[in-house]
Amino acid sequence: MPGRSSTAAYMLLITVTAVGVAEATLLAMLFLFSSILKLKLGVEVGPAGVLFTPPGCCGQVYLYNAATVGSLVFTAGCGAGTAVWKFRHWRPAR
Amino acid sequence: MRVLLRLYPRSWRRRYGREMEVLLEDLGGETGVFLDLAVGAVIAYAAVVRGNRVLSTAAAFLHGVCVAVLLQAIGFVVLVLAGNNGAGILLPVGIGPVHIATFWRSTALLGLEARLSLPAAGVGLTASAMLAALVVALAALLLIPRLVKAPAR
Repeated sequence: MPGRSSTAAYMLLITVTAVGVAEATLLAMLFLFSSILKLKLGVEVGPAGVLFTPPGCCGQVYLYNAATVGSLVFTAGCGAGTAVWKFRHWRPAR
Repeated sequence: MRVLLRLYPRSWRRRYGREMEVLLEDLGGETGVFLDLAVGAVIAYAAVVRGNRVLSTAAAFLHGVCVAVLLQAIGFVVLVLAGNNGAGILLPVGIGPVHIATFWRSTALLGLEARLSLPAAGVGLTASAMLAALVVALAALLLIPRLVKAPAR
């Protein structure tokens, strides 16, 4: 049986991986939407950023650092909220 | 067809595997049987996950994360729709002094030539279709846990 610290490490690793994959999926979706709508998309990540320019673009959406951080917090918070709710309200199947 | 039984959880195979193999030999390889086996595997795994507190919690976490991603994608499309239908050419979104996002309707503000290859009405229509698809996906995602229920004992 793994100890409490290793269980906590596993949970942290799984949480970080799941949120990372979710954020990458979201970014891919935004790029896809931008290319369909012909919008220039800029995403600020810390001091750097990503700029996507599809051919023939006519508008622009720029997401600042607050959006990036807010997205991470919202995604992790939603996951954690539903997990805590399920853990507390779980009942064995009859 | 027997290979499909490997999709089922080990505990299920230990209990019903032999009976199922005999049944499959009698039924043959029809498409309906293939679909039944695939759907049955999903339901069997759902029963295993529901029966374990830690697995249930992990599944709930992943479900919450998926819902969050869809909600943010919906927010993005709503921003595009609002910016596209708004009066001004610029739509800043923020809370107090904190800037979250900005939508420019054309690249004219940036000193670039605006080439409207996709007209504003076209953008609005496409974005509305995307919004509808995302809302349907969100509804399906919220309904899935209720639809995939353990078989009655």
